[in-house]
Amino acid sequence: MKPQHLSDEAVAAFADGFLSGHARERAARHLNDCAECRLAVKEQREAAAVLRTAPAPALPTNLMDRLRTLPMTTPLPAPPMEAIGPDGSAVLSTFAPMAAFAPTQSGTRSRGRTYLTAAVLAGVTGALVAGGAALSAEDDASTPAVRPVHHVQSGPAGPAGSATLAPVNVFHGGVRP
Amino acid sequence: MTAPSPAAEQTTAWVPPTWDEVVREHADRVYRLAFRLAGNRADAEDLTQETFVRVFKSLAQYAPGTFEGWLHRITTNLFLDMVRRRQRIRFDALPEDAGDRLAGSDPGPEQAYDELHLDPEIQAALDALPPDFRVAVVLCDLEQLSYEEIAATLGIKVGTVRSRIHRGRVLLRQALAHRAPGVRPAEPALEAAAT
Repeated sequence: MKPQHLSDEAVAAFADGFLSGHARERAARHLNDCAECRLAVKEQREAAAVLRTAPAPALPTNLMDRLRTLPMTTPLPAPPMEAIGPDGSAVLSTFAPMAAFAPTQSGTRSRGRTYLTAAVLAGVTGALVAGGAALSAEDDASTPAVRPVHHVQSGPAGPAGSATLAPVNVFHGGVRP
Repeated sequence: MTAPSPAAEQTTAWVPPTWDEVVREHADRVYRLAFRLAGNRADAEDLTQETFVRVFKSLAQYAPGTFEGWLHRITTNLFLDMVRRRQRIRFDALPEDAGDRLAGSDPGPEQAYDELHLDPEIQAALDALPPDFRVAVVLCDLEQLSYEEIAATLGIKVGTVRSRIHRGRVLLRQALAHRAPGVRPAEPALEAAAT
């Protein structure tokens, strides 16, 4: 007659509404008769509510700035050539999976490389040359690296897509021998 | 969801997210998670930045799935790595040291905001939880992930997720027991006013 108490796992799952079907019915029946388990469920919900209602910490603005300029200070591990999109923009193909794009075909890749060389580099080179020192100091010095990219951002160059990322990918992969 | 067009001119119809958009859309969430896990601003900034560095570096290998899930996985794994690393080198937390490594992390207006709005007792109670429990509770109650999502994020079984959440909340509640009687007080003042 003495009903077995709910397991800890069941208490948490019931409190969160993650029990279903028979398990849920059984738990609910037991909870009708068992004050102890009812209290356990209540305490789970209360603890969860404390966290849920706690105010969220605000993102520091200087951190936000660092994140946005990350591509300018972060060397890419592999040559981005592997991920050149059909329009030649490294950024497009880089982000393509996010948009559920099919992976770049090898055929379009070589086409893309051509495009990259012809269009992206042509568009970007001027700016890079202007900030030429940045190429040698690309490792971790953020200041020099930022300079040419700013040029690029404001310039008319760059493929459709992001003028922010494409030059950077060129920077850390494409230009490297 | 159009197929990639072979003609470059036609891709103008589809505008991919820029890095800036990715950051703007997800930075708040990542930072919030990092803060809740790490318990202090310097480590939270560190974790957030490292998470986005990883994201940036591996975007090309990113397999379709939820971007949020990916971010959760990176952030929590970085956090757990950090914890293990510190346990190995005889943990002696130096938030100031962490802060030094972050260029331009001078206290700004947000610092004041943090101090005003973050409940230090709640954060302290979270910090007191064993890291594995803390991660499970934070992902469940703050990030509102399902048990299955948490299991996938941490690479553990759903049953383990359930018991960690249960235990984590019990400990959390004990840590906050000195607060008002019960987490939701009966509000006698209101009842009195109503009569």
